[in-house]
Amino acid sequence: MSNSSLPEDFAPGRIPRRRFLQLAQFSGLGTLLSGCSVGGLEAVIHQAWEPVNQTLQSAIFNPQRLAPEFPDAAIQPQALLTNDINFNAGRPLPAIDPQQYRLKITGDVAQPQSFSLAALQALPARTMTIRHVCVEGWAAVVKWTGVPLQAIAALVQPLETVRYAYFYSEDGYYESWDLASALHPQTLMVYGKNGGPLPPENGAPLRLASPVKLGYKQSKWVTEIGFLSQLPSRRGYWEDRGYEWYAGL
Amino acid sequence: MIRLHQKWLVRFFHGLNLMALWAMIGSGLQIYNANPVFGGRAGVDAPKILTIGGWLAGGRHWHFFFMWFFALNLLWYGVYLLVSRHWQQRYPSLKDLKAIQSGKNPKRITYSWHRITILLLIATLLWSLVTGLGMYKPVQFSWIVSLVGGEWQALRIAHFLPVVAIVLLSWSHIRHGLKIGGWPLLQSIFVDAYRRSPRKSNPSSDRSHP
Repeated sequence: MSNSSLPEDFAPGRIPRRRFLQLAQFSGLGTLLSGCSVGGLEAVIHQAWEPVNQTLQSAIFNPQRLAPEFPDAAIQPQALLTNDINFNAGRPLPAIDPQQYRLKITGDVAQPQSFSLAALQALPARTMTIRHVCVEGWAAVVKWTGVPLQAIAALVQPLETVRYAYFYSEDGYYESWDLASALHPQTLMVYGKNGGPLPPENGAPLRLASPVKLGYKQSKWVTEIGFLSQLPSRRGYWEDRGYEWYAGL
Repeated sequence: MIRLHQKWLVRFFHGLNLMALWAMIGSGLQIYNANPVFGGRAGVDAPKILTIGGWLAGGRHWHFFFMWFFALNLLWYGVYLLVSRHWQQRYPSLKDLKAIQSGKNPKRITYSWHRITILLLIATLLWSLVTGLGMYKPVQFSWIVSLVGGEWQALRIAHFLPVVAIVLLSWSHIRHGLKIGGWPLLQSIFVDAYRRSPRKSNPSSDRSHP
């Protein structure tokens, strides 16, 4: 589900880009192939066109518009697939002791802070039953309970220059969001799922969840959030592997 | 010899639409294969030969690039139809329904069916655009999701079925064109064509002039 994408489609088995370019040059077909081969034309289109589509997407995005919420009867527990790089590879998931857990808030903020799980759970909670949409095309109605990131931002006070929120996860996953989407009222740091606690495979003890972004933007096992004025070159796990950055719904 | 020549606007629209549809359907099938609409992960993939983009992200890049050409082409075509008043000739009216029901002239009946085909084809293209916008931005355009009952799976099916409809209706559009004007007429949609023997031309479907 979140951290989602296509392990089977993704790069292993391909010729590494540098090796490919060497081969293409060697064969004297570089110019011809650069436009129509593996990592070729689609990557060129992506590079040239992402700013255009991003402008369109952020223009369409209304930071005040709430995504539709559903009754409990609409929840689809089976539809929410666990689609995680480690889980799919059979590797162990991060095991975090909830007692020891801390969420660090860093970056360009007036009051950097660190929250225990109990401190987060003591903040006013929001429960929302929304549609979680995966880049693969499937979707699932899920009930999430957590703290709006907006409320956490109000405590740490990001500086006026801040444009991005950056999410670091225990398993090495990383993501960055535009600030408007991060501060959307339905963007939550979640500790509960479908009325119960958040299961480990869904990112316990704390994960990011929102109806306004695709699943791969919704980091699990979040341990640190940075409010940043500049977007680092590492924009996100799947983004650095060729997926689009904005990915808004 | 008669030269069959179409307005450049007609050629531009057809050429760009054909290219955009090929790219949209090919990249759409690539995206489809990430999680088949029918059956999910256990479902049947579209044949690889038909897909464009190589992998899910590549398919999406193609899809969200060509959507601009597909949508803007339809937009200016719509403006052109209204301004030129060509919609009165190209699109069916009650007369066409009458001709189909009780007409005696087979040519007239062919023209009427062709107008209905064109209407259905354009309506299908618009439907694919609207449902695509609903899948692209289901929160910003939640009213589109509501159009199909608010169900995500219904929306996916509603966005996939136009592929089948577009292929069938395009085939029908071509068949009608061939029946009305043969290969030269079809060819003239893209490049100038020549016809040997003069043939009675109909202004509503054949812009031939000596």
